[in-house]
Amino acid sequence: MDINEELKKIIVKDLFIEDITWDEIKDDAPLFGEGLGLDSLDAVELVVIIQKHFNVEIKDMDEGRIAFQSINSLASFIKERQPL
Amino acid sequence: MNRNAAVAITGIGCLSAAGMSLKENMDSLFAGRRNVAPPKRFSSSHPAPYPVFEILEDLFPARKLKNEDISRTCSLGLTATIEALKDAGLEPEGMTGLKAGVCIGTTVGSTMNNEEFYREYCNGMHPDMAIIERFINSNPASVIAREFSLSGPCQTVVNACSSGTDAIGIGASWIRSGICDMVIAGGADELCRVTYNGFISLMISDDNPCRPFDRERKGLNLGEGAAVLILESDNLILKRKKKARAFVLGYGSACDGYHLTAPRPDGRGLKNALSDALMDSGKTSGDIAFVNAHGTATRDNDRTEVRVLREMLLGIPFLSTKGYTGHTLGAAGAIEAAFTVGCLESGMLPANAGFTELDPELGASPVTDVTGISQKIAISDSLAFGGHNAALVIGLERE
Amino acid sequence: MGIFINGIGVVGGFGSGVSDLVTCLEKSTTPLKAQGTVYGPASLADTSHLEVFVPKKSLRRIDHFSHMAILGAYLALQDAGMPSLTGTRTGLIVCSGYGASHTTFSFLDSVINDGDACASPTLFSNSVHNSAAGHISILLKLGGPCLTVSQFEMSVPSGLLSACQWLQEGRVDQVLFGAVDEYCDVLGYCWQRFFGKHNNRIMTPLSLDRQSALPGEGSAFFLLSRDKGDSLKHVSIIDISIGNLVNEDVPFPRDAVFFLGADGHKRCDRLYTNLIPPGTQAACYSPLYGSLPIGPAFDMAIAALSFKEGKIFASPESVADQENYSIIKRNSPIASRSISCLKLGKEGELGMITLAPGS
Repeated sequence: MDINEELKKIIVKDLFIEDITWDEIKDDAPLFGEGLGLDSLDAVELVVIIQKHFNVEIKDMDEGRIAFQSINSLASFIKERQPL
Repeated sequence: MNRNAAVAITGIGCLSAAGMSLKENMDSLFAGRRNVAPPKRFSSSHPAPYPVFEILEDLFPARKLKNEDISRTCSLGLTATIEALKDAGLEPEGMTGLKAGVCIGTTVGSTMNNEEFYREYCNGMHPDMAIIERFINSNPASVIAREFSLSGPCQTVVNACSSGTDAIGIGASWIRSGICDMVIAGGADELCRVTYNGFISLMISDDNPCRPFDRERKGLNLGEGAAVLILESDNLILKRKKKARAFVLGYGSACDGYHLTAPRPDGRGLKNALSDALMDSGKTSGDIAFVNAHGTATRDNDRTEVRVLREMLLGIPFLSTKGYTGHTLGAAGAIEAAFTVGCLESGMLPANAGFTELDPELGASPVTDVTGISQKIAISDSLAFGGHNAALVIGLERE
Repeated sequence: MGIFINGIGVVGGFGSGVSDLVTCLEKSTTPLKAQGTVYGPASLADTSHLEVFVPKKSLRRIDHFSHMAILGAYLALQDAGMPSLTGTRTGLIVCSGYGASHTTFSFLDSVINDGDACASPTLFSNSVHNSAAGHISILLKLGGPCLTVSQFEMSVPSGLLSACQWLQEGRVDQVLFGAVDEYCDVLGYCWQRFFGKHNNRIMTPLSLDRQSALPGEGSAFFLLSRDKGDSLKHVSIIDISIGNLVNEDVPFPRDAVFFLGADGHKRCDRLYTNLIPPGTQAACYSPLYGSLPIGPAFDMAIAALSFKEGKIFASPESVADQENYSIIKRNSPIASRSISCLKLGKEGELGMITLAPGS
């Protein structure tokens, strides 16, 4: 499974997204605000999710803001930092 | 019912990391002492040790308790109550016949979240049921009512971080309406791993001592403690020939209806709570000497709170005392009400610990040095998870 | 006191909404067989009806505990004719004995299974006792005072006192007052440890030598105001007494019918025996909703429905008959009596809510 697909599935499951399936999430669509409609609580949950599934730490929400822009940006962030 | 009637505060008890009595706490505040360090009574596996404001002294209430197998939160609450009753000149055994109520705010104190029990249960082991029995016997308000054989209204308020403020406001309404002559009102909460991990997971904890209202603030430090105010009816204080230390002049409560963990950016709930409290008291902003703010040192809370204070109470000194106690959750509002009385009585405000640099986004600084005050009325406010907001107007005089 | 009940919403093992509860009362049985859980039968609530009021998307991340509370709140508003709350001074009070216990343990799961650094912030936020009130205030866009009370079996009388105080002092014009408690497996496990294993599916309250309580869950909400409302059958709260049997005598209203909160816990059920004045008429409905700290809220709902329907419903047959006072086992005229809902706690705490036809 490629990382984008994995991320989409995890997000739909662990953030309890009801009205959209994982394959409907576009790689470059905004995750927060208008896009998937995630909020600040989802953001901190996503930090924990990334730590749990990929063992990558997001130190603060300044880092988070950059990483969480879209599935693509999140995937890049993880690939850059994932322990080998 | 006279909603604008002042309710007498005749005794206060307070314990936190800053001291084991109200006097010790006030001394620490004015001396600028901060007892903050990584937790000693529990451990965690976080790489960064987030510091806390822990009470390291043993709790020895100066009496043999009816039931000693109670939670730490209840022990904190009882210790504060014993100090408050003594301060009010009320004999613990001499309260029969009084219409006496108990209203205590808490967060941890009401939750069955014993990790040791749950781990054993999950592992298919046979956990000790004494832990559950202790939980059932540890409702903070009930424990106090049972200890002193009080049979009036009894209520544990679980409004998260505004519980202590709400409990005092509710207790005051019991006096005003005549259903109680005396109310033991306050809040208590212990430190525990569950809340420690919970607030860290929300990324609103600071891994250094907290900096309320500071430009570089990163979040809160948890604390533990309790405070109790003895509220009395005019009839009772006349009969006992007791002088009130201070008065609850007003109480306001309002919710944001916005988000479970973030305050409403426009601060609508806090504004309504403050307006209601002022209206309840019959006072205006011009009468207010200072505001004991909620000031948790999270980015969101401090931003919203200062926006509201600047709108409604512009130019009035404000400070957070959480730099001395940490955020004591359900106890916070009560501890801060106690500190508000302490500051009014001494005519001085302590410095807002942890503040060094103005945040231009906030546009206002808290009190930075020990400062004299001359007016006799102040506000203490709280903002809570769930979008609850509460405020008390407290004064040294009845009118 | 001049406090009127304008709307009632109930959720429990009997179904959701007052008509499900009335159907259950008419049949005088537990229509929903106590469902099997890992630790034996329990009376569990289904909240699927909530989708009628709130789109699924808005219920994201909200747990079963809050679902029950939200559904109860909407049902109460629906029963009151769905008044607009915009611009009103509406207070919100939620009472709960145990809070969001399932979510509390789920949060502990996240810590135990994945380590402190992987504790779930969503679960933590929802585990806080006032999460249900928070969700209700967000969905209904409330802006008035808000309170959550946790006092085990005395949660409902204690919280109701605050609701009435707010109305009497003019702090609000109406209060959405409710109570919610949920079942979780840890609770079931604790019951089994305390009371032993059993397959009993019918509660027999007041049979003093038997432990027959079954855990229940659900919510009961009321829209309260100083205004009688449009309904012809007004129901008002005329008294709330909170005390302790150990410390004082509690005056009981004369000519009241008592709804007893006995729920099959033999230690507590025994306390009612010596307390109820001889010759009194009483009823007990706990077999219809199970044993849970907020039981008094269901009794209050049934009392209000009794006035609206003009009769005292028969208690379930499984409630044990008593020597000194009678348990009403047939539908009976209510006449002009008041109804006092009485709940006793194991340490002798007493909470009594008295209702009467409004005037």
